[in-house]
Amino acid sequence: TLRLIFTTTAVQRKNVGASGPEKYTEAFIKKQIEEFNLGKRHLANMMGEDPETFTQEDIDRAIAYLFPSGLFDKRARPMMKHPTEIFPEQRKIQWGEDGRPFHFLFYTGKQSYYSLMHDTYEKLLNVQKHQDQLIAQDLPLQREKRNLAGSRWLTKIELEEMLLEKVSDDDYSRFIQLLQKLVALPCAEIEEKYIQKFSKEVPAQLQKVVIEPLQYDERGVAFSTGEGKRKTASATAIVYDNGTGKITVNGIDILHYFPVLQDREQLLFPFQFLGRIGKHDMVCTVSGGGRSAQAGAIRLASAKALRSFVTEKEVEFMRQAGLLTVDPRVKERKKPGQEGPRRKFTWKKR
Amino acid sequence: MAAPSTAGLGRRLRAWLPRIMPVRWSRYNPSYLEPEVKTESYQKPLEELTEEEREQMELKAVRPIKAAPPSLSSSVFSDPMVSKFTNMMMKSGNKVLARSLMSQTLEAIKRKQLEKYHKAPENEKETIECNPYVIFHQALKNCQPIIGLSNITRGGKTYQVPVPLTDNRKRFLAMKWLITECRENKHRRTMMPEKLSQELLLAFNNEGPVIKKKHVLHKMAEANRAYAHFRWW
Repeated sequence: TLRLIFTTTAVQRKNVGASGPEKYTEAFIKKQIEEFNLGKRHLANMMGEDPETFTQEDIDRAIAYLFPSGLFDKRARPMMKHPTEIFPEQRKIQWGEDGRPFHFLFYTGKQSYYSLMHDTYEKLLNVQKHQDQLIAQDLPLQREKRNLAGSRWLTKIELEEMLLEKVSDDDYSRFIQLLQKLVALPCAEIEEKYIQKFSKEVPAQLQKVVIEPLQYDERGVAFSTGEGKRKTASATAIVYDNGTGKITVNGIDILHYFPVLQDREQLLFPFQFLGRIGKHDMVCTVSGGGRSAQAGAIRLASAKALRSFVTEKEVEFMRQAGLLTVDPRVKERKKPGQEGPRRKFTWKKR
Repeated sequence: MAAPSTAGLGRRLRAWLPRIMPVRWSRYNPSYLEPEVKTESYQKPLEELTEEEREQMELKAVRPIKAAPPSLSSSVFSDPMVSKFTNMMMKSGNKVLARSLMSQTLEAIKRKQLEKYHKAPENEKETIECNPYVIFHQALKNCQPIIGLSNITRGGKTYQVPVPLTDNRKRFLAMKWLITECRENKHRRTMMPEKLSQELLLAFNNEGPVIKKKHVLHKMAEANRAYAHFRWW
């Protein structure tokens, strides 16, 4: 006979976290989409706009007007977006009614990743077979090189979104290595379509920056301004044309302001690179930072100002020489439990 | 003009903080390339470039480039080897002192060589090298070891195994030996530039204690040839 042992309600209640994150059924998502569309039309009516031509931007503006919120995190504010953006894509149940999984690699744990690796390797073998056939028939191998510079591979996050499962750093690097191996083979054009699924276009850098035109002051001399920052120092430089190569910092000549040779070398670097040493005059103001930081800030400011005087090709050369990039290196913060940013406290045995 | 570019740059730069913080990291995104400062490489016409250089050029047109460090400049007077040596000589961040010591060393070399040049007979005048930079580079090259030793532990015992060295490591060892030699084995009253110029001239002629140290290392490597198969890389 079985005796009823005293149990508490806590034990009888189901363990909440055991089943994993909430699963959204297809019916649920469909209902959400219908509700969203209906709500969109209601909102359009409320705002007095036309329900047919109510775009997502209009929805955002309407919600920001009806429910103003001062919360700092934009993701915490009230939002009304299409359900596919709010509910993350989840995989449907991977096994049938009898409990048997559909995919043959289910029990590896990372089925989509391993099936992807298998597919890519199959393509690699195909390419090699094709290559062997061409060699057997004594035909020349095609040597058209893909333009590597204009495209980049998918990032790890994009790959995770594509496969709908987590990918570790190691797995991701292995996949990229396999793709590179595939692309490096001579006859990889056959699998071009497959490779394009995993590569993205990268636009050229130069088109992003707008170069200002020259300004003219009262005497008719052309000048242009530039601003630069380095570490805590910020500088503004005004470069005049038809000059003798005089440079003034905060009203003081550079020979007196920068007694160290290295700083003066840095100031003259952009001019020397373009070969225009005696042709320009410069007046700069700088504040903050130390000696070397101020020199770096003025260098960046003068390089930015010189862009207006020079052809586009030379601007590209300046960029490739590292003159136009803001130096992101700053002082590293001190961490708790350590004496400095890297130095740890003296280790004492007892 | 500054606002849109810095905002975009800030987002790109801030967005680069890897999920797991490694110990050796840099503020730049790994896609940033090293800057090329010399003006000659930009003046070459398109036809003279080889295949690899063309690919490099295309890559550079698309990828962002790091900012040039303050020690690098396109003037004829800046030499990357000399700046590296100056940095290694520097103590507690006193770059001004290190730079002045370096320039005094080069001046001392030039003076000694000029003295020798004026004293030498006519036929030997051409063989005497007066350019201190050439002497510096040649001396460093003469001091570089070809093969190094590394400690490998097998079965409890540590062996000194001969191992090939990378270019960077060779240059570093040559510079380190020169500097330690000059700091330790000198009379209390001799100045660093004087001692360094002496050592550099000796190394230029393949003599001196640094060259001897290099030969000793080579001999040790030759003696431990038997353990060379312990290396697995």
